[in-house]
Amino acid sequence: MTPQLLFLIGLFIVIVVLTLTRKAWAPALGHALPSVWRIAKITVAEARRRRVLQAVVVLVVLILVSMTFFSYLSPREQSRMLISGGLSAITVFGILLAIFVAAFLIPQELESRTVYAILAKPVRRFEFVLGKYVGALIILAVITAVMTAVLIGVLLLQNQLVTDLPDSVFDPNIPGVVFAAAMSYCSVAVLTGLIVLISTISSTTMTVISAFIIWAVGSLQPTIHDLAENAEIPATKLLLRVIYTIVPKLANFDFRNEVANYLQFSYMSGASAIVQGIAYTIVVLILASIFFNDRQV
Amino acid sequence: MITDESVLSIDGLTKVYRSLFTPVGVKAVDNLNLSVRRGETYSIVGPNGSGKTTTLKIILGLIFPTAGGATIFGKSINDLSVRERIGFLPEDAYLYEVFNGEELLDFYASLFGFSKQRRRELVEELLTLVGMQANRKVPFRECSKGMRQRLALAQALVNDPELLIMDEPTSGLDPAGRHQMTRLVLELKRRGKTILLCSHFLAEVEEVCDRVGIMYRGRLVAEGTLKELAGEPVEIVITTAGLDGGAAKQLAAREAVLGVDDGVVRMRHEYGDELWSVLEAIHRGGGRVIEVTRPRPTLQDVFVHAIREGVGPTAGETPEVVE
Repeated sequence: MTPQLLFLIGLFIVIVVLTLTRKAWAPALGHALPSVWRIAKITVAEARRRRVLQAVVVLVVLILVSMTFFSYLSPREQSRMLISGGLSAITVFGILLAIFVAAFLIPQELESRTVYAILAKPVRRFEFVLGKYVGALIILAVITAVMTAVLIGVLLLQNQLVTDLPDSVFDPNIPGVVFAAAMSYCSVAVLTGLIVLISTISSTTMTVISAFIIWAVGSLQPTIHDLAENAEIPATKLLLRVIYTIVPKLANFDFRNEVANYLQFSYMSGASAIVQGIAYTIVVLILASIFFNDRQV
Repeated sequence: MITDESVLSIDGLTKVYRSLFTPVGVKAVDNLNLSVRRGETYSIVGPNGSGKTTTLKIILGLIFPTAGGATIFGKSINDLSVRERIGFLPEDAYLYEVFNGEELLDFYASLFGFSKQRRRELVEELLTLVGMQANRKVPFRECSKGMRQRLALAQALVNDPELLIMDEPTSGLDPAGRHQMTRLVLELKRRGKTILLCSHFLAEVEEVCDRVGIMYRGRLVAEGTLKELAGEPVEIVITTAGLDGGAAKQLAAREAVLGVDDGVVRMRHEYGDELWSVLEAIHRGGGRVIEVTRPRPTLQDVFVHAIREGVGPTAGETPEVVE
């Protein structure tokens, strides 16, 4: 039995249990969902007014547009370079924004003490944590959508410019670009959840440092797996296996190479990564809620 | 109207702050017991570090007690329904800086699940109550200290709370702002709100509170109405003019007189029967009586006295360190 199949069976059991016990948790959820949504909305509204985010989005757009200047390359190379560079920009800036948005979400509320007025109202602590997370997801989704739209625009524009050339084989590969950008957003969503968890138990600085380490380790998960398999010292083997198990497998969400080089890839492997990512995020958000529930603010 | 029903009850509340890396902790609140009755304005007064804010934060569930606990409306402080009925004004008005008054009040009202229409009405009512209609569009970060404090009070009132908890409501305000805030508290009191207020501005406490609890080093060292705390006047003060030196010496020699200084004769209150005799002596000595008063001790006097009595003159202001 493959891990994916085991996971799907587990997921099915969870859904059945939740359905059968819905009378127990549905009323609480009825209160929680509106509260989560209100906190998410204020988080988004606050971020919209912060100039830093707007400046970063403008910077990424400029980078994407500037890629059209490589007109000395062959059309095929141009499309490959644009897709690869554009998706990399979306991924890197998406991750960087996730780190800086998520790492400040809760610590900033604690440091500025704005959390006092909220928690003194009928808002449960887990609703606050989830609201902040959902707010971050919306902010990052909008930014990723804008970046992807600009990349698609650039690709279509370039396609228009080179179609008249002889032996043009420029292929904007729009479905592939959308899929890879969506997968990049999913990895950002998983990482954001983990950053929110860390931020509930540590300072902003420690959260940012940890987030960068996790991003690096998460992107190198296949390498870590190989190192764990080949390690000869038992302690090293154990440590690497623990890291491999705990840190999210961000590399599973990375389809940049396949899309940019027009390679065959399975949408199912993407779906499997998403399902695992959702399960991972649920676990880290439950832990974040537990830790924040016990935190003295 | 004040009733006997207890709205807030604190029972044996103790809070010790401990660090992971040090074996000793700091006792911020020490076995605190107090009760606030419906309709009354109760003030916890005490110097900085006496445990006032810690007590409020425990009541609001922001931090957790080491021992003891509190109930509001007879329910646990962790019961979500309790928070539907209370309002909290934090010290220094910690609200989102990027939003204006209208947006802030709309958001805080939304946390109670009010409809859009009700929120719009509430925002109008509250901005009018705190006198912020003209500045409704000013971002919070651009508001003056007084405006910030008034908006913070407005957010505490979005649910028309039965119990209003205020932490240093006039902290950092200029005299005009302080006066304005005191008027607002009196207005809320007139509307029948139960108010728990923490402050170290004794003049404002004297003006608005029905009962006072004096905290020092985490302990409640005195509690009661101002009259109970102040007790009976201890002296009669006679202000005179033109009293000659010899007459002043003769007056000072009397058992009923505590002293004569610069034309001010201070009599022991329990010798009140001798007042006429003293007044005659002043008249004979060429003095003219300008004023006779029986001053009660001020809250300031009570406060200083309670701290000396309760903790001892050698005690410092720092909280107690516990193993």
